[in-house]
Amino acid sequence: MNQTTPSDGDLLRRLLGPAAPEISCDDCFEQLDRYVELELRGADADSLIVGMRAHLEGCQACREEHLTVRALAQAER
Amino acid sequence: MAVPDSRAVPTGLDADSSGWLTSLTADGAAREEAIARLHGLLLRAARFELLNRRATLPRLDRGELDDLALQSADDALVAVLAKLDRFNGASRFTTWAYKFAVLEASVKARRRAWQARELPLEPERWPQIPDERASPPADAEQRELLVAVRRAMDAELTSHQREVLVAVALNDVPIDVLSQRLGTTRGALYKTIHDARRKLRRRLEADGYALDPVTTR
Repeated sequence: MNQTTPSDGDLLRRLLGPAAPEISCDDCFEQLDRYVELELRGADADSLIVGMRAHLEGCQACREEHLTVRALAQAER
Repeated sequence: MAVPDSRAVPTGLDADSSGWLTSLTADGAAREEAIARLHGLLLRAARFELLNRRATLPRLDRGELDDLALQSADDALVAVLAKLDRFNGASRFTTWAYKFAVLEASVKARRRAWQARELPLEPERWPQIPDERASPPADAEQRELLVAVRRAMDAELTSHQREVLVAVALNDVPIDVLSQRLGTTRGALYKTIHDARRKLRRRLEADGYALDPVTTR
């Protein structure tokens, strides 16, 4: 849908994905609520749920959903 | 609608989460009232997600958007009730419930936005190779790597891996739209993308390219 021209760096990131090992989309969904609350508490969510950050970098759909769930959870605090 | 068996509420929950579980596993009117409240919560989350995506759904009027939110909340409610026994208190109950509504609404929105559109499976945006003398060294390095990626895609990937990676990474086809058209799941398609990326990285590293200083810039 978005037809703005990405930079070469953006294209490389999209094509090559994250360097670090990542979890699957299913595991991302399973862990998403815990990850969000760890983030909102200021805990080191990336160390506690290894592979989540890399997956969010690599998967646009999961990344978008993470941002929405975090916004909703943050609004309740 | 799936109805979970009554179950013990896990210990160690915050008061609000414990209240949700107690009422959702109660009998009669208390449970019905809790389900109605839960549906309201899921509907608010679905509306929030769809309003965020309003720009991608220009042909939907307010009523159609409300219908999509309601469908999302209905489907999320079924999923939450069916999986209630898997809530273990790793987060607050509401945060756990939100993710079901957000998933339903975002998938429906992505698919609605691409309804009746043909999926572009051939590259639409490979950049032209510029005159290297006109490019700063950092840009030239990235452009050279991009050319190598393109070569590696032709040499290393299966036609399925290439089509999926091109559609999602280059042509902005949402993974949920592609999974629906191909009759598969988001997870299976992402695995295809993941495996393709590993192949490309291995090939490029074997060819002597230093990837991360370039791709993280």
